Amino acid sequence: MTPDLKVKLGSVELNNPIMTASGCCGYGEELAQAFPLSRLGALVTKSITREPRLGHPSPRTVEAASGMLNAIGLANVGLDCFISDKVPFLEKQDTTIVVNVAGSSIGDYVEVCARLNDVPRVDMIEVNISCPNVKEGGIEIGTDPTMTEKTIAEVRRVFSRPIIAKLTPNVTDISVVARAAEAGGADILSLINTLVGTSIDFNTWRPRLTNNRGGLSGPAIKPVALAAVDRVYQSTNLPLIGIGGIASAMDVVEFMLVGATAVQIGTSLFKDPQGPVNIVRDLKEYLKQRNLSSVTKLIGQVRKY
Amino acid sequence: MSKLKIERVAVRNLRHLSRDYYSMCLGPWPKGCRSKPGQFVHVGLPESDIFFRRALSIAWVDPDRDESHFIFKVFGRGIRLLSRCNKGDEVELLGPLGVPFKMPKKNETCLLIGGGVGFPPLYFLAYRMIEKGRDPRTIEFFYGGRTSEEIVERTRLRKLGVKFRPVTDDGSFGEQGLVTEAVTRYLDSTPPRNPRIYSCGPAPMLRATDELARRYDIPGQVSLEAPMPCGFGVCLGCVVPLRAGGNARVCTEGPVFEIGEVLL
Ligand SMILES: Cc1cc2nc3c(=O)[nH]c(=O)nc-3n(C[C@H](O)[C@H](O)[C@H](O)COP(=O)(O)O)c2cc1C
Ligand code: FES
Repeated sequence: MTPDLKVKLGSVELNNPIMTASGCCGYGEELAQAFPLSRLGALVTKSITREPRLGHPSPRTVEAASGMLNAIGLANVGLDCFISDKVPFLEKQDTTIVVNVAGSSIGDYVEVCARLNDVPRVDMIEVNISCPNVKEGGIEIGTDPTMTEKTIAEVRRVFSRPIIAKLTPNVTDISVVARAAEAGGADILSLINTLVGTSIDFNTWRPRLTNNRGGLSGPAIKPVALAAVDRVYQSTNLPLIGIGGIASAMDVVEFMLVGATAVQIGTSLFKDPQGPVNIVRDLKEYLKQRNLSSVTKLIGQVRKY
Repeated sequence: MSKLKIERVAVRNLRHLSRDYYSMCLGPWPKGCRSKPGQFVHVGLPESDIFFRRALSIAWVDPDRDESHFIFKVFGRGIRLLSRCNKGDEVELLGPLGVPFKMPKKNETCLLIGGGVGFPPLYFLAYRMIEKGRDPRTIEFFYGGRTSEEIVERTRLRKLGVKFRPVTDDGSFGEQGLVTEAVTRYLDSTPPRNPRIYSCGPAPMLRATDELARRYDIPGQVSLEAPMPCGFGVCLGCVVPLRAGGNARVCTEGPVFEIGEVLL
Protein backbone atom coordinates (compact mmCIF):
# COMPACT_ATOMS: atom_id res chain seq x y z
CA MET A 1 0.00 0.00 0.00
CA THR A 2 1.40 3.36 -0.91
CA PRO A 3 0.94 5.89 1.86
CA ASP A 4 -1.33 8.86 1.18
CA LEU A 5 0.61 12.12 1.12
CA LYS A 6 -2.35 14.43 0.68
CA VAL A 7 -2.90 17.13 3.27
CA LYS A 8 -5.50 19.83 3.65
CA LEU A 9 -4.79 23.50 4.25
CA GLY A 10 -8.13 25.13 4.92
CA SER A 11 -10.30 24.32 1.93
CA VAL A 12 -7.37 23.47 -0.33
CA GLU A 13 -6.03 19.97 -0.69
CA LEU A 14 -2.31 19.60 -1.48
CA ASN A 15 -0.86 16.58 -3.30
CA ASN A 16 1.76 16.36 -0.60
CA PRO A 17 2.95 18.50 2.30
CA ILE A 18 6.05 19.82 0.50
CA MET A 19 5.88 23.48 -0.53
CA THR A 20 8.61 25.88 -1.57
CA ALA A 21 9.31 28.96 0.58
CA SER A 22 8.86 32.50 -0.65
CA GLY A 23 11.99 34.15 -2.01
CA CYS A 24 13.70 30.84 -2.65
CA CYS A 25 12.09 29.82 -5.95
CA GLY A 26 11.37 33.12 -7.73
CA TYR A 27 8.12 32.75 -9.66
CA GLY A 28 8.71 29.10 -10.46
CA GLU A 29 10.28 29.36 -13.92
CA GLU A 30 13.83 28.40 -12.93
CA LEU A 31 12.76 25.62 -10.59
CA ALA A 32 10.73 24.06 -13.41
CA GLN A 33 14.10 23.26 -15.03
CA ALA A 34 14.91 21.07 -12.03
CA PHE A 35 11.68 19.07 -11.89
CA PRO A 36 8.02 19.28 -12.99
CA LEU A 37 6.34 21.59 -10.50
CA SER A 38 3.43 19.16 -10.25
CA ARG A 39 5.68 17.19 -7.89
CA LEU A 40 5.25 19.93 -5.28
CA GLY A 41 2.43 20.22 -2.80
CA ALA A 42 2.43 23.94 -3.56
CA LEU A 43 4.65 26.66 -4.95
CA VAL A 44 4.96 29.93 -3.04
CA THR A 45 6.12 32.94 -5.06
CA LYS A 46 8.57 35.64 -4.09
CA SER A 47 6.83 38.44 -2.14
CA ILE A 48 4.82 40.65 -4.48
CA THR A 49 4.41 44.35 -3.73
CA ARG A 50 2.19 46.98 -5.35
CA GLU A 51 5.13 48.62 -7.14
CA PRO A 52 8.24 46.88 -8.47
CA ARG A 53 11.18 46.92 -6.05
CA LEU A 54 14.90 46.65 -6.74
CA GLY A 55 15.71 45.73 -3.16
CA HIS A 56 18.92 46.61 -1.35
CA PRO A 57 22.28 47.03 -3.11
CA SER A 58 24.69 44.08 -3.18
CA PRO A 59 26.14 42.50 -1.14
CA ARG A 60 22.81 41.35 0.13
CA THR A 61 23.56 37.75 1.02
CA VAL A 62 26.36 36.25 3.06
CA GLU A 63 27.10 32.79 4.30
CA ALA A 64 26.72 32.00 8.01
CA ALA A 65 27.38 28.89 10.07
CA SER A 66 24.92 26.27 8.75
CA GLY A 67 22.97 28.82 6.81
CA MET A 68 22.98 32.29 5.39
CA LEU A 69 21.96 35.87 5.99
CA ASN A 70 19.95 37.74 3.40
CA ALA A 71 18.83 41.32 3.06
CA ILE A 72 17.36 41.14 -0.42
CA GLY A 73 14.85 43.84 0.54
CA LEU A 74 11.78 42.36 -1.17
CA ALA A 75 13.10 42.80 -4.71
CA ASN A 76 10.26 41.81 -7.02
CA VAL A 77 8.68 42.65 -10.36
CA GLY A 78 5.64 44.37 -8.83
CA LEU A 79 1.97 43.45 -9.06
CA ASP A 80 1.26 44.51 -12.68
CA CYS A 81 4.23 42.70 -14.14
CA PHE A 82 3.53 39.69 -11.95
CA ILE A 83 0.02 39.40 -13.35
CA SER A 84 0.98 40.07 -16.97
CA ASP A 85 4.32 38.21 -17.16
CA LYS A 86 4.45 35.60 -14.41
CA VAL A 87 0.88 34.36 -13.96
CA PRO A 88 0.66 32.93 -17.52
CA PHE A 89 3.49 30.53 -16.67
CA LEU A 90 1.96 29.66 -13.31
CA GLU A 91 -1.40 29.03 -14.95
CA LYS A 92 0.12 26.12 -16.83
CA GLN A 93 1.54 24.47 -13.72
CA ASP A 94 -0.32 21.57 -12.21
CA THR A 95 0.25 22.47 -8.58
CA THR A 96 -1.26 24.69 -5.92
CA ILE A 97 -0.15 28.29 -6.36
CA VAL A 98 0.36 30.51 -3.35
CA VAL A 99 1.23 34.15 -3.92
CA ASN A 100 3.17 35.79 -1.13
CA VAL A 101 2.19 39.44 -0.61
CA ALA A 102 4.11 42.25 1.11
CA GLY A 103 3.45 45.94 1.56
CA SER A 104 4.52 49.05 3.39
CA SER A 105 1.03 49.92 4.61
CA ILE A 106 -2.23 48.09 5.20
CA GLY A 107 -3.57 49.85 2.11
CA ASP A 108 -0.82 48.24 0.01
CA TYR A 109 -1.70 44.75 1.22
CA VAL A 110 -5.38 45.33 0.55
CA GLU A 111 -4.81 46.67 -2.94
CA VAL A 112 -2.56 43.78 -3.96
CA CYS A 113 -4.82 41.12 -2.44
CA ALA A 114 -7.94 42.61 -4.03
CA ARG A 115 -6.30 42.41 -7.46
CA LEU A 116 -5.11 38.85 -6.81
CA ASN A 117 -8.63 37.87 -5.82
CA ASP A 118 -9.54 38.41 -9.48
CA VAL A 119 -6.80 36.06 -10.68
CA PRO A 120 -8.42 32.62 -10.38
CA ARG A 121 -5.14 30.71 -10.62
CA VAL A 122 -4.02 32.20 -7.31
CA ASP A 123 -5.20 29.46 -4.99
CA MET A 124 -4.11 31.12 -1.77
CA ILE A 125 -2.19 34.11 -0.58
CA GLU A 126 0.48 34.19 2.06
CA VAL A 127 0.62 37.53 3.82
CA ASN A 128 4.22 38.38 4.64
CA ILE A 129 4.01 40.44 7.80
CA SER A 130 7.40 39.25 8.88
CA CYS A 131 10.12 40.52 6.53
CA PRO A 132 13.00 41.77 8.69
CA ASN A 133 14.68 43.63 5.82
CA VAL A 134 12.44 46.59 5.10
CA LYS A 135 11.76 49.59 7.28
CA GLU A 136 8.02 49.94 7.02
CA GLY A 137 5.42 47.19 6.75
CA GLY A 138 6.61 43.62 7.09
CA ILE A 139 8.02 42.98 10.50
CA GLU A 140 6.57 46.18 11.96
CA ILE A 141 3.17 44.63 11.49
CA GLY A 142 4.16 41.11 12.43
CA THR A 143 5.64 42.07 15.80
CA ASP A 144 2.50 43.96 16.81
CA PRO A 145 -0.57 41.83 17.58
CA THR A 146 -3.02 44.68 17.02
CA MET A 147 -1.55 45.56 13.62
CA THR A 148 -1.41 41.89 12.70
CA GLU A 149 -5.08 41.36 13.43
CA LYS A 150 -6.03 44.54 11.60
CA THR A 151 -3.97 43.74 8.50
CA ILE A 152 -5.31 40.21 8.21
CA ALA A 153 -8.88 41.41 8.82
CA GLU A 154 -8.60 44.01 6.05
CA VAL A 155 -7.11 41.49 3.63
CA ARG A 156 -9.84 39.01 4.60
CA ARG A 157 -12.44 41.45 3.31
CA VAL A 158 -11.00 41.52 -0.19
CA PHE A 159 -9.64 37.99 -0.68
CA SER A 160 -12.14 35.15 -0.73
CA ARG A 161 -9.85 32.12 -0.90
CA PRO A 162 -7.59 30.81 1.90
CA ILE A 163 -5.23 33.27 3.58
CA ILE A 164 -1.95 32.24 5.16
CA ALA A 165 -0.38 34.62 7.67
CA LYS A 166 3.41 34.28 7.74
CA LEU A 167 4.81 34.89 11.20
CA THR A 168 8.11 36.26 12.40
CA PRO A 169 10.12 34.62 15.17
CA ASN A 170 11.52 38.02 16.19
CA VAL A 171 9.07 38.42 19.08
CA THR A 172 8.99 37.40 22.72
CA ASP A 173 6.01 35.08 22.36
CA ILE A 174 5.03 34.01 18.86
CA SER A 175 1.72 32.54 20.05
CA VAL A 176 0.40 36.03 20.83
CA VAL A 177 0.80 37.14 17.22
CA ALA A 178 -0.49 33.76 16.03
CA ARG A 179 -3.73 34.25 17.94
CA ALA A 180 -4.00 37.80 16.61
CA ALA A 181 -3.74 36.50 13.04
CA GLU A 182 -6.38 33.88 13.82
CA ALA A 183 -8.64 36.56 15.25
CA GLY A 184 -8.15 38.62 12.09
CA GLY A 185 -9.45 35.75 10.02
CA ALA A 186 -6.37 33.88 8.79
CA ASP A 187 -7.10 30.34 7.65
CA ILE A 188 -3.57 29.02 7.99
CA LEU A 189 -0.36 30.14 9.68
CA SER A 190 3.12 29.70 8.27
CA LEU A 191 6.23 30.04 10.41
CA ILE A 192 8.95 31.05 10.66
CA ASN A 193 10.36 33.86 8.56
CA THR A 194 14.05 34.63 9.07
CA LEU A 195 15.68 35.61 12.38
CA VAL A 196 17.32 39.04 12.51
CA GLY A 197 21.10 38.72 12.38
CA THR A 198 24.22 40.27 10.97
CA SER A 199 27.86 39.66 10.14
CA ILE A 200 30.83 42.04 10.28
CA ASP A 201 34.01 42.01 8.20
CA PHE A 202 36.81 42.15 10.76
CA ASN A 203 39.24 43.58 8.19
CA THR A 204 37.19 46.49 6.91
CA TRP A 205 35.03 46.87 10.05
CA ARG A 206 32.01 47.01 7.79
CA PRO A 207 28.85 44.91 7.92
CA ARG A 208 28.88 42.22 5.24
CA LEU A 209 25.41 43.37 4.12
CA THR A 210 24.75 46.87 2.81
CA ASN A 211 21.53 46.84 4.81
CA ASN A 212 23.75 46.43 7.91
CA ARG A 213 21.67 43.44 9.00
CA GLY A 214 19.62 40.70 7.49
CA GLY A 215 17.64 37.56 8.15
CA LEU A 216 19.18 34.23 9.13
CA SER A 217 17.88 31.10 7.40
CA GLY A 218 18.92 27.51 6.77
CA PRO A 219 19.63 24.55 9.06
CA ALA A 220 20.91 26.98 11.72
CA ILE A 221 17.35 28.08 12.49
CA LYS A 222 15.61 24.70 12.44
CA PRO A 223 15.54 24.21 16.24
CA VAL A 224 14.06 27.69 16.69
CA ALA A 225 11.46 27.03 14.01
CA LEU A 226 10.47 23.67 15.51
CA ALA A 227 9.99 25.20 18.94
CA ALA A 228 7.90 27.98 17.38
CA VAL A 229 5.63 25.51 15.56
CA ASP A 230 5.29 23.49 18.75
CA ARG A 231 4.33 26.60 20.71
CA VAL A 232 1.79 27.84 18.16
CA TYR A 233 0.26 24.37 17.75
CA GLN A 234 -0.61 24.48 21.45
CA SER A 235 -2.27 27.86 21.21
CA THR A 236 -4.34 28.01 18.00
CA ASN A 237 -6.60 25.70 16.04
CA LEU A 238 -5.37 26.69 12.60
CA PRO A 239 -3.41 24.38 10.31
CA LEU A 240 0.28 25.26 10.39
CA ILE A 241 3.01 25.32 7.77
CA GLY A 242 6.45 24.74 9.26
CA ILE A 243 9.40 26.64 7.76
CA GLY A 244 13.03 26.86 8.76
CA GLY A 245 16.07 24.89 7.74
CA ILE A 246 14.22 21.94 6.23
CA ALA A 247 16.53 19.88 4.04
CA SER A 248 15.35 16.29 4.35
CA ALA A 249 12.30 14.09 4.84
CA MET A 250 13.37 13.54 8.45
CA ASP A 251 13.23 17.30 8.99
CA VAL A 252 9.69 17.24 7.58
CA VAL A 253 8.72 14.46 9.98
CA GLU A 254 10.01 16.51 12.92
CA PHE A 255 7.94 19.52 11.90
CA MET A 256 4.81 17.46 11.38
CA LEU A 257 5.21 15.74 14.74
CA VAL A 258 5.14 19.09 16.53
CA GLY A 259 2.04 20.12 14.63
CA ALA A 260 2.78 21.22 11.07
CA THR A 261 0.32 20.10 8.38
CA ALA A 262 2.70 21.10 5.60
CA VAL A 263 6.20 22.54 5.31
CA GLN A 264 8.11 24.96 3.11
CA ILE A 265 11.61 24.43 1.79
CA GLY A 266 13.67 27.61 1.47
CA THR A 267 17.42 27.93 1.68
CA SER A 268 18.07 24.24 1.09
CA LEU A 269 16.67 24.66 -2.44
CA PHE A 270 19.84 26.61 -3.20
CA LYS A 271 21.92 23.60 -2.19
CA ASP A 272 19.83 21.18 -4.18
CA PRO A 273 17.19 22.40 -6.61
CA GLN A 274 15.81 18.86 -6.82
CA GLY A 275 15.58 18.56 -3.04
CA PRO A 276 11.76 18.68 -2.87
CA VAL A 277 11.44 15.65 -5.16
CA ASN A 278 13.85 13.63 -3.05
CA ILE A 279 12.11 14.71 0.13
CA VAL A 280 8.73 13.54 -1.20
CA ARG A 281 10.27 10.19 -2.16
CA ASP A 282 11.97 9.73 1.21
CA LEU A 283 8.89 10.80 3.13
CA LYS A 284 6.84 8.15 1.37
CA GLU A 285 9.47 5.56 2.21
CA TYR A 286 9.48 6.63 5.86
CA LEU A 287 5.70 6.25 6.10
CA LYS A 288 5.88 2.85 4.46
CA GLN A 289 8.47 1.63 6.91
CA ARG A 290 6.35 2.87 9.78
CA ASN A 291 3.21 1.32 8.35
CA LEU A 292 1.43 4.65 8.28
CA SER A 293 -1.37 4.93 5.75
CA SER A 294 -1.39 8.71 5.66
CA VAL A 295 1.11 11.47 6.30
CA THR A 296 -1.55 13.23 8.36
CA LYS A 297 -1.01 10.56 11.02
CA LEU A 298 2.16 12.41 11.97
CA ILE A 299 0.59 15.77 12.71
CA GLY A 300 1.01 16.78 16.35
CA GLN A 301 1.97 13.26 17.41
CA VAL A 302 5.20 14.14 19.21
CA ARG A 303 5.50 12.04 22.34
CA LYS A 304 6.49 14.61 24.89
CA TYR A 305 8.05 14.01 28.27
CA MET B 1 16.15 15.92 -19.01
CA SER B 2 16.50 18.30 -16.13
CA LYS B 3 19.00 21.05 -16.57
CA LEU B 4 19.29 21.84 -12.89
CA LYS B 5 20.72 18.72 -11.40
CA ILE B 6 23.53 18.46 -8.89
CA GLU B 7 26.10 15.98 -10.12
CA ARG B 8 28.95 14.34 -8.30
CA VAL B 9 32.17 14.40 -10.25
CA ALA B 10 35.63 13.21 -9.27
CA VAL B 11 38.75 15.32 -9.00
CA ARG B 12 41.15 13.85 -11.54
CA ASN B 13 43.99 16.15 -10.81
CA LEU B 14 44.68 19.06 -8.51
CA ARG B 15 47.92 20.93 -8.77
CA HIS B 16 49.42 23.90 -6.97
CA LEU B 17 50.54 26.50 -9.54
CA SER B 18 52.02 29.31 -7.47
CA ARG B 19 51.12 31.34 -4.43
CA ASP B 20 47.35 30.91 -3.97
CA TYR B 21 46.73 29.57 -7.46
CA TYR B 22 45.68 26.01 -8.25
CA SER B 23 44.67 24.12 -11.34
CA MET B 24 42.05 21.42 -11.12
CA CYS B 25 40.72 18.85 -13.52
CA LEU B 26 37.30 17.22 -13.04
CA GLY B 27 35.94 14.23 -14.87
CA PRO B 28 34.35 12.24 -16.28
CA TRP B 29 31.74 14.91 -16.81
CA PRO B 30 30.10 14.83 -20.25
CA LYS B 31 27.95 17.88 -19.56
CA GLY B 32 31.02 19.99 -18.83
CA CYS B 33 32.41 19.44 -22.30
CA ARG B 34 29.44 21.23 -23.82
CA SER B 35 30.28 24.41 -21.91
CA LYS B 36 31.22 27.59 -23.72
CA PRO B 37 33.84 30.23 -22.85
CA GLY B 38 32.52 32.58 -20.18
CA GLN B 39 30.27 29.99 -18.58
CA PHE B 40 30.91 28.79 -15.05
CA VAL B 41 30.12 25.88 -12.82
CA HIS B 42 28.92 26.02 -9.25
CA VAL B 43 31.15 23.78 -7.17
CA GLY B 44 30.40 22.48 -3.70
CA LEU B 45 32.05 20.12 -1.28
CA PRO B 46 29.85 17.26 -0.14
CA GLU B 47 30.00 16.48 3.56
CA SER B 48 31.53 19.82 4.43
CA ASP B 49 30.16 22.56 6.63
CA ILE B 50 30.68 25.10 3.85
CA PHE B 51 27.18 26.14 3.02
CA PHE B 52 27.34 27.74 -0.40
CA ARG B 53 28.78 26.37 -3.57
CA ARG B 54 31.35 28.58 -5.31
CA ALA B 55 31.30 29.76 -8.90
CA LEU B 56 34.36 28.73 -10.90
CA SER B 57 34.99 29.76 -14.49
CA ILE B 58 35.81 26.99 -16.87
CA ALA B 59 39.38 27.31 -18.18
CA TRP B 60 39.16 24.70 -20.92
CA VAL B 61 37.53 21.38 -21.68
CA ASP B 62 38.89 18.19 -23.17
CA PRO B 63 36.00 16.30 -24.77
CA ASP B 64 38.20 13.33 -25.72
CA ARG B 65 38.85 12.65 -22.06
CA ASP B 66 35.54 13.98 -20.74
CA GLU B 67 37.42 16.49 -18.63
CA SER B 68 36.83 20.06 -17.53
CA HIS B 69 39.71 22.19 -16.31
CA PHE B 70 39.72 25.04 -13.82
CA ILE B 71 42.20 27.50 -12.43
CA PHE B 72 41.32 29.09 -9.14
CA LYS B 73 42.76 31.29 -6.46
CA VAL B 74 42.25 30.55 -2.79
CA PHE B 75 40.26 33.16 -0.93
CA GLY B 76 38.13 32.19 2.02
CA ARG B 77 37.64 28.84 3.66
CA GLY B 78 35.45 27.23 0.97
CA ILE B 79 38.02 27.48 -1.78
CA ARG B 80 40.83 26.58 0.63
CA LEU B 81 39.05 23.31 1.38
CA LEU B 82 38.63 22.73 -2.35
CA SER B 83 42.36 23.27 -2.83
CA ARG B 84 43.00 20.46 -0.33
CA CYS B 85 40.97 17.88 -2.22
CA ASN B 86 42.75 14.71 -3.21
CA LYS B 87 42.66 12.87 -6.48
CA GLY B 88 39.48 10.78 -6.53
CA ASP B 89 37.55 13.01 -4.09
CA GLU B 90 34.15 14.01 -5.37
CA VAL B 91 32.78 17.51 -5.67
CA GLU B 92 29.19 18.58 -6.29
CA LEU B 93 28.59 20.43 -9.51
CA LEU B 94 25.76 22.45 -10.92
CA GLY B 95 26.22 23.64 -14.46
CA PRO B 96 27.54 24.71 -16.82
CA LEU B 97 25.71 27.93 -16.02
CA GLY B 98 25.45 31.48 -17.31
CA VAL B 99 25.67 33.33 -20.58
CA PRO B 100 28.88 32.77 -22.60
CA PHE B 101 30.98 35.34 -24.47
CA LYS B 102 29.79 36.34 -27.93
CA MET B 103 32.26 35.32 -30.59
CA PRO B 104 33.95 38.19 -32.47
CA LYS B 105 33.45 39.07 -36.12
CA LYS B 106 36.08 37.79 -38.54
CA ASN B 107 37.75 41.15 -39.14
CA GLU B 108 38.04 42.13 -35.48
CA THR B 109 41.18 42.29 -33.37
CA CYS B 110 40.50 40.73 -29.97
CA LEU B 111 41.90 42.44 -26.91
CA LEU B 112 41.66 40.02 -24.02
CA ILE B 113 42.25 41.86 -20.76
CA GLY B 114 42.61 39.66 -17.72
CA GLY B 115 43.76 40.22 -14.17
CA GLY B 116 44.65 37.54 -11.64
CA VAL B 117 41.89 35.01 -11.38
CA GLY B 118 40.17 36.53 -14.43
CA PHE B 119 42.50 34.47 -16.57
CA PRO B 120 40.56 31.17 -17.01
CA PRO B 121 37.51 32.37 -19.02
CA LEU B 122 39.76 34.42 -21.30
CA TYR B 123 42.08 31.50 -21.85
CA PHE B 124 39.07 29.35 -22.75
CA LEU B 125 37.85 32.06 -25.13
CA ALA B 126 41.22 32.32 -26.89
CA TYR B 127 41.50 28.53 -27.06
CA ARG B 128 38.03 28.16 -28.56
CA MET B 129 38.48 31.01 -31.07
CA ILE B 130 41.69 29.44 -32.34
CA GLU B 131 40.06 26.02 -32.45
CA LYS B 132 37.41 27.60 -34.65
CA GLY B 133 40.03 28.86 -37.05
CA ARG B 134 40.99 32.32 -35.88
CA ASP B 135 44.56 33.45 -36.51
CA PRO B 136 46.15 33.55 -33.01
CA ARG B 137 48.02 36.71 -33.96
CA THR B 138 44.74 38.63 -34.02
CA ILE B 139 44.43 37.97 -30.29
CA GLU B 140 46.22 40.42 -27.98
CA PHE B 141 46.25 38.72 -24.57
CA PHE B 142 46.90 41.30 -21.81
CA TYR B 143 47.38 39.48 -18.56
CA GLY B 144 48.01 41.40 -15.36
CA GLY B 145 49.01 40.41 -11.86
CA ARG B 146 50.61 41.98 -8.84
CA THR B 147 53.79 39.97 -9.27
CA SER B 148 55.27 37.44 -11.65
CA GLU B 149 53.83 34.62 -9.54
CA GLU B 150 50.31 35.70 -10.38
CA ILE B 151 50.83 35.16 -14.09
CA VAL B 152 50.09 31.46 -14.15
CA GLU B 153 49.97 28.91 -16.98
CA ARG B 154 52.26 30.97 -19.24
CA THR B 155 53.52 28.00 -21.18
CA ARG B 156 50.01 26.92 -21.97
CA LEU B 157 49.14 30.42 -23.10
CA ARG B 158 52.29 30.79 -25.22
CA LYS B 159 51.47 27.51 -26.93
CA LEU B 160 48.27 29.04 -28.26
CA GLY B 161 50.38 31.46 -30.26
CA VAL B 162 48.48 34.54 -29.14
CA LYS B 163 50.26 37.86 -28.62
CA PHE B 164 50.99 37.42 -24.94
CA ARG B 165 51.39 40.73 -23.09
CA PRO B 166 52.09 40.15 -19.42
CA VAL B 167 51.91 43.12 -17.05
CA THR B 168 52.84 43.19 -13.37
CA ASP B 169 52.44 45.87 -10.71
CA ASP B 170 56.05 45.47 -9.62
CA GLY B 171 57.55 44.85 -13.07
CA SER B 172 58.79 41.39 -12.05
CA PHE B 173 57.40 39.98 -15.30
CA GLY B 174 56.42 41.76 -18.51
CA GLU B 175 55.52 45.42 -18.57
CA GLN B 176 55.33 47.31 -15.30
CA GLY B 177 52.11 48.94 -14.14
CA LEU B 178 48.43 48.20 -14.33
CA VAL B 179 47.10 46.05 -17.12
CA THR B 180 44.75 48.81 -18.28
CA GLU B 181 47.72 51.23 -18.50
CA ALA B 182 49.44 48.76 -20.78
CA VAL B 183 46.30 48.50 -22.93
CA THR B 184 46.11 52.29 -23.17
CA ARG B 185 49.76 52.51 -24.28
CA TYR B 186 49.10 49.84 -26.88
CA LEU B 187 45.99 51.57 -28.21
CA ASP B 188 47.85 54.89 -28.48
CA SER B 189 50.97 53.48 -30.14
CA THR B 190 49.58 50.81 -32.47
CA PRO B 191 45.84 51.37 -32.93
CA PRO B 192 44.45 47.96 -33.95
CA ARG B 193 41.91 47.36 -36.71
CA ASN B 194 38.35 46.88 -35.42
CA PRO B 195 39.24 46.18 -31.81
CA ARG B 196 36.91 44.21 -29.54
CA ILE B 197 37.50 43.83 -25.80
CA TYR B 198 36.90 40.81 -23.59
CA SER B 199 37.74 41.29 -19.94
CA CYS B 200 37.62 39.48 -16.63
CA GLY B 201 39.31 40.23 -13.35
CA PRO B 202 39.07 42.11 -10.07
CA ALA B 203 36.48 44.91 -9.75
CA PRO B 204 38.91 47.88 -9.97
CA MET B 205 40.41 46.44 -13.15
CA LEU B 206 36.99 45.88 -14.71
CA ARG B 207 35.99 49.42 -13.84
CA ALA B 208 39.14 50.75 -15.52
CA THR B 209 38.56 48.52 -18.55
CA ASP B 210 34.96 49.61 -18.86
CA GLU B 211 36.02 53.26 -18.71
CA LEU B 212 38.81 52.75 -21.22
CA ALA B 213 36.55 50.90 -23.64
CA ARG B 214 33.99 53.65 -23.54
CA ARG B 215 36.65 56.38 -23.90
CA TYR B 216 38.10 54.69 -27.02
CA ASP B 217 34.64 53.61 -28.14
CA ILE B 218 35.57 49.94 -28.33
CA PRO B 219 32.79 47.37 -28.09
CA GLY B 220 33.14 44.25 -26.03
CA GLN B 221 32.18 42.30 -23.00
CA VAL B 222 33.17 41.88 -19.37
CA SER B 223 32.71 38.84 -17.19
CA LEU B 224 31.76 39.54 -13.56
CA GLU B 225 32.09 37.74 -10.27
CA ALA B 226 29.57 37.81 -7.45
CA PRO B 227 28.77 35.76 -4.40
CA MET B 228 26.15 33.25 -5.55
CA PRO B 229 23.99 31.42 -3.04
CA CYS B 230 21.97 29.50 -5.63
CA GLY B 231 23.63 29.97 -9.04
CA PHE B 232 20.40 29.43 -10.98
CA GLY B 233 18.48 32.65 -10.60
CA VAL B 234 16.11 32.19 -7.67
CA CYS B 235 17.68 33.90 -4.66
CA LEU B 236 18.44 37.33 -6.18
CA GLY B 237 21.59 37.45 -4.10
CA CYS B 238 24.00 38.07 -6.96
CA VAL B 239 22.54 41.17 -8.62
CA VAL B 240 24.45 44.11 -10.10
CA PRO B 241 22.93 47.47 -11.03
CA LEU B 242 22.49 48.25 -14.73
CA ARG B 243 23.28 51.62 -16.28
CA ALA B 244 19.84 51.69 -17.90
CA GLY B 245 18.20 51.11 -14.51
CA GLY B 246 17.18 47.93 -12.77
CA ASN B 247 19.30 45.01 -11.70
CA ALA B 248 20.61 41.91 -13.41
CA ARG B 249 21.48 38.56 -11.91
CA VAL B 250 25.14 37.72 -12.50
CA CYS B 251 24.35 33.99 -12.42
CA THR B 252 21.69 33.98 -15.13
CA GLU B 253 21.74 37.24 -17.12
CA GLY B 254 25.56 37.16 -16.72
CA PRO B 255 28.29 36.53 -15.85
CA VAL B 256 29.12 38.07 -19.24
CA PHE B 257 27.74 41.56 -19.88
CA GLU B 258 28.26 44.11 -22.65
CA ILE B 259 30.75 46.88 -21.93
CA GLY B 260 28.89 49.78 -20.34
CA GLU B 261 25.82 47.73 -19.50
CA VAL B 262 26.60 47.34 -15.80
CA LEU B 263 27.37 50.10 -13.32
CA LEU B 264 30.69 48.74 -12.12
C1 LIG C 1 17.22 34.77 -0.19
C2 LIG C 1 15.94 34.69 0.58
C3 LIG C 1 14.86 35.49 0.20
C4 LIG C 1 13.67 35.45 0.90
N1 LIG C 1 12.62 36.23 0.50
C5 LIG C 1 11.43 36.15 1.15
C6 LIG C 1 10.32 36.90 0.69
O1 LIG C 1 10.36 37.62 -0.31
N2 LIG C 1 9.15 36.80 1.39
C7 LIG C 1 9.02 35.99 2.49
O2 LIG C 1 7.94 35.92 3.06
N3 LIG C 1 10.07 35.26 2.94
C8 LIG C 1 11.26 35.32 2.29
N4 LIG C 1 12.32 34.56 2.74
C9 LIG C 1 12.16 33.72 3.94
C10 LIG C 1 11.86 32.27 3.59
O3 LIG C 1 10.67 32.16 2.88
C11 LIG C 1 11.82 31.39 4.85
O4 LIG C 1 10.78 31.84 5.68
C12 LIG C 1 13.10 31.42 5.64
O5 LIG C 1 14.22 31.51 4.79
C13 LIG C 1 13.28 30.21 6.54
O6 LIG C 1 13.25 29.00 5.81
P1 LIG C 1 14.59 28.24 5.30
O7 LIG C 1 15.49 28.08 6.48
O8 LIG C 1 14.11 26.93 4.74
O9 LIG C 1 15.19 29.13 4.27
C14 LIG C 1 13.53 34.60 2.04
C15 LIG C 1 14.61 33.79 2.41
C16 LIG C 1 15.80 33.81 1.70
C17 LIG C 1 16.94 32.94 2.13
S1 FES D 1 23.01 33.32 -7.26
FE1 FES D 1 20.92 33.18 -6.74
S2 FES D 1 20.03 34.51 -8.21
FE2 FES D 1 22.09 34.48 -8.79
